[in-house]
Parts: sequence; C-alpha cells; structure tokens
Amino acid sequence: MTWDLIWSSLGPILLGAVQATIPLALASFALGLVIALVIALMRISGNVLLSGIARFYISVIRGTPLLVQLFVIFYGLPNIGLKLEPWPSAIIALSLNVGGYGAEVIRAAILSVPKGQWEAGHMIGMSRAQTLRRIILPQAARVSLPPLSNTFISLVKDTSLASLILVTELFRQAQQIASVGGDFMVLYLEAAVVYWVICLVLSTVQSLLEKRLDRYVAH
Amino acid sequence: MSLTKPRKLLAIGLLLSLGLAVAGCSSSPASGTDSSLSDVTSKGELVVATEGTYKPFSYHEGGSGALTGYDVEIAEAVAAKLGVKAKFQETQFDGILAGLDAKRFDVVANQISINPDREKKYDFSKPYTVSSGVIVVKASNDSIKSFDDLKGKTTAQSLTSNWYKLAQQSGATVQSVEGWAQSVALLQQDRVDAVVNDKLTYLDFAKNTPNAGLKIAAETTDKSLSAFTLRKGSTALTEAINKALADLSADGTLSKISKKYFGTDVSK
Repeated sequence: MTWDLIWSSLGPILLGAVQATIPLALASFALGLVIALVIALMRISGNVLLSGIARFYISVIRGTPLLVQLFVIFYGLPNIGLKLEPWPSAIIALSLNVGGYGAEVIRAAILSVPKGQWEAGHMIGMSRAQTLRRIILPQAARVSLPPLSNTFISLVKDTSLASLILVTELFRQAQQIASVGGDFMVLYLEAAVVYWVICLVLSTVQSLLEKRLDRYVAH
Repeated sequence: MSLTKPRKLLAIGLLLSLGLAVAGCSSSPASGTDSSLSDVTSKGELVVATEGTYKPFSYHEGGSGALTGYDVEIAEAVAAKLGVKAKFQETQFDGILAGLDAKRFDVVANQISINPDREKKYDFSKPYTVSSGVIVVKASNDSIKSFDDLKGKTTAQSLTSNWYKLAQQSGATVQSVEGWAQSVALLQQDRVDAVVNDKLTYLDFAKNTPNAGLKIAAETTDKSLSAFTLRKGSTALTEAINKALADLSADGTLSKISKKYFGTDVSK
C-alpha cells in the first residue's frame, strides 16, 4: 500500500524535478555566476564607487532571507507597477542570491592566487585584463570550485521556496499529492530523498571536475 | 566535499526507504484506550491549531496584537467549559491537518468544513459555523456568473482547503497559496481570475477594505458546516467538546460571539 503510493507519486515528483527544480537551478546558477563574477571584479577594483556598490549588494543579499527576497519580487513589485510571472520572479531572486554569495567566493579565490602570477603576466607583456583572463581566473576557478559547488547544492534545495510563488516544482508536487491522501510523512520523505539523490549526483560531478581542473594548479 | 563512502550511503538509503515504508504503515490510528480527553485534562490545556491569518475567524488584533477571532473565541469558551486553558499554535493552513496527524495539537479550530473525505480521516465536533462558499472576482469582471463559468479560469486557493476542491471540480486551474492574503493579492494583481472562499471571510474583508475593487460573482447553494477537527479515535474529547458547544449554545455564548463578529448568528 505504501510502496504503491511511493511508486505512483514518484512520477509526478520526478516530473517536478525535471520540469522545474533542475531547470530553475541551472538557469539561476548560470545567471548567478555572471552576476557573481561582475560583482567580485567590482569589489576588488580600485574604484571606490564600484567596490562600494558591490559591498552594498553583497551585504543586502547575504543579510536578508531568500524567502523575503522572493516575496518582495513576486508579491511586492506589483504594488509599484512591475508584475512578473512566477518563473522570472524565481529566477531573478535565486540568481541575485547566487550572485551575492558567489561574488565573495570568487573574490576570495582571485585573491588566493599568488601575487607573483600577476607580476609574471606583466613581465611577458600582458595587460591586466589579459593576465586576469589567461592566468589568474583559470587558477581561481580551481580554487573556487568546492565553495561554488556548495553554493550550487544549496541553490538546488533553495528552489523549493519557489513553490510559495506558484512554481510547481518537486516539493509542490509532493505537497499536492499529500494534500489529497494525507500521507505527509511518506511524501515529504520521498521529496527529501529525491533532493538528496540530485545533490549526491552533483557531489560526484564536483569531484570529477576537481580532478580535471587540477591541471591549472601551479605546483 | 564528498558526503561519505558510496557503500555506506547505500546502506543509509536503504534504511531510509525502510523508514518510508514503516511510516506509511503507522498512519492508522493506534488501537487501545482513548486517552484524548484525559490527556487534555491532565495537561490542563487544550492545544488548538489555527492559522492566525484568516480574518475574522483567526487573526491578530490590528495585525500585530493578540490572537483573536470567531474561532479563537469559541475555542477559548469551549476550553473553559472543559476546565482547561486553550493554548493556540499558529500554523499555515496546508500544515494544519498534517500537524494534527503528527499529534502537535489536540484540535483544529480554523473553519474546517465537514466533508466526506475528511470524515474518513478525522473526527468532527458538532458544527459551530453555517456559511456558504462564494466566488470572488474583480469588480470589472463580468465573465464569471456561476461555478460553471470557472471552467478554464484560474483561481487561487489553499491546497488542502475544501475551496480548492470545489474550484477544481468546477473546472478551474488552481494555483495553491498559503492563505487568504495571498489569494486576494493575486486576484487584485490580475494574476488569477477568481478566488473561491468562505462568504463570511469575504464580507468581513469587504467591510474592512471598501476600495478593494472586488465583488461576489456567485454563491454555493448548499451550506458549508465548519467544526472542530480532531484525530480519528478522539471520541472522548469530541463528546466533551460537543457537550461544551451545546451548553454554550443554550446559554447564548455562541450567538453572542457570532454577533460580535458578523452582526448575525452564524453558529446554527
């Protein structure tokens, strides 16, 4: 009886994962990384205005709950005339969030590359931008891989909050089935296991990537 | 950061799956003696679940004051009749029945309508509210005049509420939200076409928010009856609550509370 329920609900839950949870996480992470890189570069630039803006942004994102950010964007913005659909709202909130946390990771990674690498680039006639792109960032990427993987894994789980702004993702599918039969324990645990499996896969991908990127580390 | 060794993980996964299976088996009510009433009297408190965001049944005075409302006051009166204090646990509507199953509360007081599906799983007291359901739409919307007109339209409801079912049965696409406030927001922002909810809730909202720009498009013909909801097998506590409700009805307390909130007696 319970197994039947688990099997019959696995389909909709996986559908929610494939149709919403995973695409939502991928889109938000891709966009979030771009934001994170830009913010990180602003943060370490010599320009006081740019680094000030970056500091402020990181502080706001890290200092407020993601749920509140989601509600401000989805339920709040219409009050000032900007109405966004559930999906764009979720992607904006999640990628801004990744941007805030990712920026600190990338900044730390860039600063962890030895100063001598900058000087070496300068010596062979590279501009600052060239040095950054060809020498510093590849090495920073390897350093930032574990913490960025952490950010991504957190993001996968954070997508469950999008269920509160009408995105029918993995958790909401489980909620819908639970609300009919009242089998909360089974369905919530089932949802938890599916999240867990997704995160296990991501951890495995992370270790493979780490091995591959070891080429870029100066030994 | 890998989590742990794959083989260990498999073992944990298997254990968890077993846990899932066991969890499913244990949802039947425990056999044996019914201690529902003695538990309450020995604790000296009746633990009541309510939303706290569902005006005028269960809300905070002025938004941030003390918890009050029609259901809250009736629950307090019932608890007093039982000789205990009512202790309220404010819970999101979609978590309310799950919390009752999980023995977090003794009873739910949140306009839970009696319906056959719920009667299979829960015990109900005698009803303390007689109301009806309404379709609420924007004042400018003339395309919905009956429940049949909901076909192909979008509404916003709490997932586990009977209004969700009603909207679904009428052929609407239903968006699930946490409560009344969100459903009204979605309606006013043109994100849904309609909201199905309790007539009393809407009337109270309309009274307090005269410029909301909403109206009633249709009303159910059958009355909905709301009652205290208890775990299956809480026979002793249900009977005690019924007796308390009968006394409160006889001495005029119920109608007094009702008139305070609605101006008429909706308790019978």
